Amino acid sequence: MASALRPTLLRHTAPAAPTRRAITTTLRSKQPMPSAVAKAAAFHASSRRRLLPPGPQVIHGSVNDPAPVPSPSPTHGSYHWTFERTIAAGLIPLTITPFAAGSLNPATDALLCGLMLVHSHMGFQSILIDYVPNSRYPKSRKGLMWGLNAVTVLVGIGLYEFETNDVGVTEAIKRVWKA
Amino acid sequence: MAALRSTPSRLLAAASRSTRAGPSMFVRSMATLGDSTVEANPKGSTDSRMKSFQVYRWNPDRPTDKPSMQTYTLDLNKTGPMVLDALVRIKNELDPTLAFRRSCREGICGSCAMNINGTNTLACLCRIPTDTKQEMKIYPLPHTYVVKDLVPDLTYFYKQYKSIKPYLQRDTPAPDGKEYRQSKAERRKLDGLYECILCACCSTSCPSYWWNAEEYLGPAILLQSYRWIADSRDERREERRAALDNSMSLYRCHTILNCTRTCPKGLNPGLAIAEIKKQMAF
Repeated sequence: MASALRPTLLRHTAPAAPTRRAITTTLRSKQPMPSAVAKAAAFHASSRRRLLPPGPQVIHGSVNDPAPVPSPSPTHGSYHWTFERTIAAGLIPLTITPFAAGSLNPATDALLCGLMLVHSHMGFQSILIDYVPNSRYPKSRKGLMWGLNAVTVLVGIGLYEFETNDVGVTEAIKRVWKA
Repeated sequence: MAALRSTPSRLLAAASRSTRAGPSMFVRSMATLGDSTVEANPKGSTDSRMKSFQVYRWNPDRPTDKPSMQTYTLDLNKTGPMVLDALVRIKNELDPTLAFRRSCREGICGSCAMNINGTNTLACLCRIPTDTKQEMKIYPLPHTYVVKDLVPDLTYFYKQYKSIKPYLQRDTPAPDGKEYRQSKAERRKLDGLYECILCACCSTSCPSYWWNAEEYLGPAILLQSYRWIADSRDERREERRAALDNSMSLYRCHTILNCTRTCPKGLNPGLAIAEIKKQMAF
């Protein structure tokens, strides 16, 4: 409903702030409770509810100073990138082989689980680095990174249990797959 | 983008216009109120083609006022073909308070980079769509701190450019004592890199740069970085690569390729970044 209304609402509310105010006040004057439409309009068309507003621009040093260059750390740079791509490429044959070969080998199953775990851990790390910048939210960043570590360990334990006490990932997919 | 570069059609249009109007009547109508009898209209009719332009306005003298869109209406028959012509005409004739950067009007200086109809491009290289029913929307470069109206603050962008040391670094003198020579093949590696005019269209179109502009260098600066890494005369390739070898400077590029798509000069910053990553991989 709200998404269907959105274009027309935007057209009414976006061009100028005074008209938007007029519209929302008329909506409010008709209905004492703010309706869903008014809520949607306020959410879509304005920056009134700014979730993470940008801070003021901060320039360290003079205009002619270069931006600081971080010290090299290949473990977070080039080695990390190579490792990431190698794992991603390695996952493709590991995913296809058990089904193509028709044999369910616990060794390849364990390898697949392990690589998938590392792969997703690195992927989520990348998301956190992108969306929770260390310069602005150092505490949230730290907390979320440790939360991610905990989740990865939990998933690792779960996969270990599933592999040792149950049928294992490949077999489970094979049973669920009805295509 | 195709409309920007249709040189043959542009030439054809200019030719037909001049033949119809006659050499004595042909006026290069750019940003001036042309004589009302002379109009660069292929049909030769005098009816006007009014098109409205919505332009982002924000005045630093009144910082509490929210940014707003102001609409200007121009007759396309009296305006030059490019968006910059329209902006100059708005500033000359309608509203002298409108602020924007411009210099060369031919896509060499990179001053007039702005977001036109949702695409970062140079106003001087972007033709005004002739469909008069559609409004044009002109914003400053996205995710930049705005100084006024269409003028973004590129201070940090230039500071980042300075941080990659964009100049030739050498210790050994030239063998003949005169100049540093390059083979044709070595020179060819710089094609597609040296043409960058640092207009910041690509960097400000990159979501990763929106998120982490303080630490990620962005496509424009990385393209320039590769321009010096690829230069056979430079002797600090290792240092240059080491400066990028961390989690933020280079590896925040996720190959989104908005940079390549938006580049008004037709360059490929995405490819340059991929080349750096490849060189650093093993």
